[in-house]
Amino acid sequence: MQLSRDDLLGAYRRMATIRQFEERLHDEIKTGEIAGFTHLYCGQEAAAVGVCDHLAVEDFIVSTHRGHGHCIAKGCDVKGMMKEIYGRRDGLCKGRGGSMHIADLSLGMLGANGIVGAGAPQAVGAAIAAKLDGNGHVAIAFSGDGACNQGTTFEAMNLAVVVKAPAIFVFENNHYSEHTGVDYAVGTNKDIASRAEAFGMKAWRANGSDYFDTYETMRELLDYVRAGNGPAAIELDTERFYGHFEGDPQRYRGPGELDRIREERDCLKAFRARVGDAGLLDLAELDAIDAEVAQLIDEAVSEARAAPPPDPESVAKDVYVDY
Amino acid sequence: MATLKAFTMPKWGIEMSEGTISEWMVGENEPFTKGAVLTLVETDKITNEIEAEAAGRFVRILAEAGGTYPVGALLAVLSDGEAAAADIDAFVANFKQADTSFEPDAGAADAKAPPAAAPPPPAAPEIPAGIAISPVALTRAAAAGVDVATIKGSGPGGRITAQDIDQVVRPVASNTLAGPYPLSPDTDVFASPMAKRLSVLHDVPLAGISGTGARGRVRKADVLAQIQPVAPQATVVAPPVSGVTVNAMSSMRRTIARRLTESKATIPHFYIRRRVRADRLLALRAAVQGQRPSVNDYLIRACALALMEVPQVNIQVHGNDIHRFESADIAVAVATEKGLVTPIVTRADERSIVDISAAMQALAQRAKAGKLKPEEFTGGSFSLSNLGGFGVEQFDAIINPPQGAILAVGTARPEPIDDDGAIRIVPVLHLSLSCDHRAIDGADGGRFMAALANLIERPELL
Amino acid sequence: MAIMNIREAINRTLHAEMERDSNIIVLGEDVVGGAGTAGGQEAIGGIWGTTGGLYAKFGAGRVIDTPISESAIIGAAAGAALAGKRPVAELMFADFIGVSLDQLWNQMAKFRYMFGGKTKCPAVVRMIYGAGMNAAAQHSQSVYALLTAMPGLKVVLPATPADAKGLLTEALRGDDPVMFMEHKTLYGVKGEVPDGEYRQRFGEARVVREGGDVTIVACGRMVGFAEKTCDKLAAEGIGADLLDLRTTSPLDEEAILDSVEETGRLVIVDESPPRCSLAADIAAIVASKAFTSLKAPPAMVTGPHSPIPYARELERAWVPSPQKIEDAVRHVLAFR
Repeated sequence: MQLSRDDLLGAYRRMATIRQFEERLHDEIKTGEIAGFTHLYCGQEAAAVGVCDHLAVEDFIVSTHRGHGHCIAKGCDVKGMMKEIYGRRDGLCKGRGGSMHIADLSLGMLGANGIVGAGAPQAVGAAIAAKLDGNGHVAIAFSGDGACNQGTTFEAMNLAVVVKAPAIFVFENNHYSEHTGVDYAVGTNKDIASRAEAFGMKAWRANGSDYFDTYETMRELLDYVRAGNGPAAIELDTERFYGHFEGDPQRYRGPGELDRIREERDCLKAFRARVGDAGLLDLAELDAIDAEVAQLIDEAVSEARAAPPPDPESVAKDVYVDY
Repeated sequence: MATLKAFTMPKWGIEMSEGTISEWMVGENEPFTKGAVLTLVETDKITNEIEAEAAGRFVRILAEAGGTYPVGALLAVLSDGEAAAADIDAFVANFKQADTSFEPDAGAADAKAPPAAAPPPPAAPEIPAGIAISPVALTRAAAAGVDVATIKGSGPGGRITAQDIDQVVRPVASNTLAGPYPLSPDTDVFASPMAKRLSVLHDVPLAGISGTGARGRVRKADVLAQIQPVAPQATVVAPPVSGVTVNAMSSMRRTIARRLTESKATIPHFYIRRRVRADRLLALRAAVQGQRPSVNDYLIRACALALMEVPQVNIQVHGNDIHRFESADIAVAVATEKGLVTPIVTRADERSIVDISAAMQALAQRAKAGKLKPEEFTGGSFSLSNLGGFGVEQFDAIINPPQGAILAVGTARPEPIDDDGAIRIVPVLHLSLSCDHRAIDGADGGRFMAALANLIERPELL
Repeated sequence: MAIMNIREAINRTLHAEMERDSNIIVLGEDVVGGAGTAGGQEAIGGIWGTTGGLYAKFGAGRVIDTPISESAIIGAAAGAALAGKRPVAELMFADFIGVSLDQLWNQMAKFRYMFGGKTKCPAVVRMIYGAGMNAAAQHSQSVYALLTAMPGLKVVLPATPADAKGLLTEALRGDDPVMFMEHKTLYGVKGEVPDGEYRQRFGEARVVREGGDVTIVACGRMVGFAEKTCDKLAAEGIGADLLDLRTTSPLDEEAILDSVEETGRLVIVDESPPRCSLAADIAAIVASKAFTSLKAPPAMVTGPHSPIPYARELERAWVPSPQKIEDAVRHVLAFR
């Protein structure tokens, strides 16, 4: 099935939105106005969008501490997200969650997560629910090469196989778990997909810095899972353009490494080249999208900055449904 | 001789606490072989057969089919052969069931007595609509006349609690601030903070004190022990002497001992003595028809009026505060079998002799019966002690704290007096006033005694 | 005496103790940093900078970077301790005890008791706790009450550089598992640190201020807040005994009770939700052991019964503050 013009424009818009959202945060965080710890998704846009472009609202995703990209790819309101990161009353989580805990259950976005490896078991649960409902929906656990070393992730993979849940383990390998290299920390010769295979599920590998490769591989994977074959995994080879968190000195990078990955592994550049070379889209259209996104992000930031803060009196609200 | 064994309710799994005997598959004294099914036991989860672990017989079956028994309960007595009834009886009597309960209080030696029936609760006051308030708080508010609508509750969901009412009703405690202290200097000695502070305060070096706290820490008590070395308390246990009975002090005796020791040790007493002619008072009393007040009743009244004239003596002393009383509340020493008590004739300045007399009689009776209410013997602004009835000529009394003075009165005995230039022999009373010099000066005491003498000598004023 | 901050005090103590005792090993996520990267080792020395330089000095055998695997980190520390080493495991955030709880609670804490006193488990678990950085619900918690409730663990909370050195040294010389809790907002706090060997006993509260009107009990970041309150109140002639607990297990009950016996009024400052908290624990101890000394109910200054929020305004509303402590002191002083 060929991607339509609209599909391509939409994919680009979503990736550009993530990129500009994160680039802008990188700048705004330096002002000190934004509190807390922020982990930027820049560089990995093709992974989130290439996966989520296959999903319906009813499909679930469970995200990580580096979750802004997953949120945007699943359709979360960009202005609501920005307000949340600014800690505003009308943020997506009323200013209670912040960058690491953005969620929108109405969109099947079950939440970013501050605990590495906490998401995978939850995705299995959501997959069990989807299987029970018999509607053919799936649940996606986004994990990094860090989370792939957590016992929770191992347990989740085994459980998903045991109960044949339509769970999909998406391992975005950006080569760094925090400040440690994947060469050191992932004992299976830096290969994550083989771990999933060892648990008894089918696994795919794709270039997570390439939208088309990710998208097409995910199509195959999803056909397999939606056919009732149980869980599956995919390892996406991708890049993180910023540090583990904002403020990370990134001394673990090699000389010129950041320049090189921005040059050679930028999924947006690759997208433009591909659609331009193939004559699928006019690059001016993409420039127009860039401008529209820039406008949106500008508005999101200015609205977030002007938005009212939460009422301190509300601090202990929403702990329970009923108490 | 046959060997007897207990056949008890088994425990299957972690949670089983009891089981029901569905059916006995063998009867009493019916021999069975190993592996024979003996009984069916039912739990809330399963029904299981219990098989014989060895050949034998039940010489007695105690549990009834259909009955439910806790895990470990004796269901039957197993034996390898016939057994004498007496032996079986003894076996059953000596059987002690293992503690298998899940209950936290299980395993206590004896079952506890059932709790006594609680007294019926007092009728609850009606809670006003729209106000969340506890019944106790409401009762308290009603008693104090507090409008509960004006109070912000501190209880769950803003409910008004009894404490909230207390916070409105109670007077503000006098809050004398101690203020900040300088930080105790650091020391290498392992000592508690209070021990360090006390060591500085009392100039007791911590080094050398052996700590009695955990891991040898010097505690507050260890430092205090250095400040007030506990003299080996002269617990002089007298050698047993024939003819001496040793009785421990009653608690009342101990209280008297403590209070009076404290009084004599801490109050600077001084004494003012005066003779007064009592002939006119006695004559006045003799003229009363019917029930005559006692001489003491007249003296109570006289003291009361004198106190009104010299209010400097009508006081209590509390630390650095002197409490002046508007009325004369006179504590009167009454000897009882258990010891001295001092019931109080309140507002004696406002009462007639007859009234005082009646009140005094009632108080004395209740005192001797040990039935005084606390409010009848606490407080008082002045004390009167009269030992005239024992023929005592004169004595000095110890102040009854927190009062400021006490009057000691002896018997009225004939003595010569100067009666307007003539020497006459009339009954004379010896009075001795003990005063707390912290609050009462000699002049105050002198004026009081003058006023009192005047009243006794001119009893028509009473 | 040298002036340094808590971060430096911890780092230098680790250096000194590892030099002294070759059985001490350090393990945790990014305690070295940069393993398997182009940048090479020593990229970070712990994201809090407390383990810098250890790798260069003591090598990969004793300074071990781990994958993100909290259960394995704590479990490995427990096992190494049983096998005769003195591991110092670092949990980047105390909140991550959630991932590794079994190894702390059912294993490390219980070995000695379960094995009939025949073994010891001299592991130190360093963890970074506390709110104040808007790190939200999963990176801000003060889990010391949970850990204090676990028999077998000692729980240590330095509030000064000197105590950081003294308590960490004590932890590394002792033979029991120690939860060494470092408040993330206190790393930069400077103070004098004794030179040479310096040990601070556990279970000995630090007297920060003395006064006769109210007892304030605090630990960690709350000590500094309470100091501010004390200084403000002192200007009005209100004197407070301020105790920095230093360790919550063992707890210096004696210091608390002695002080309350004199002041009759107690304010406990605890950066936790109120239920089953350290504040509740101390209030219960005082109510049961010093009841007749109390002139007012013990006041607990805690967060609300809620997770810790993200937004600045909400986190501020959540965390105890000098003003909230002052309000509590005034409340107990005015109690009728």
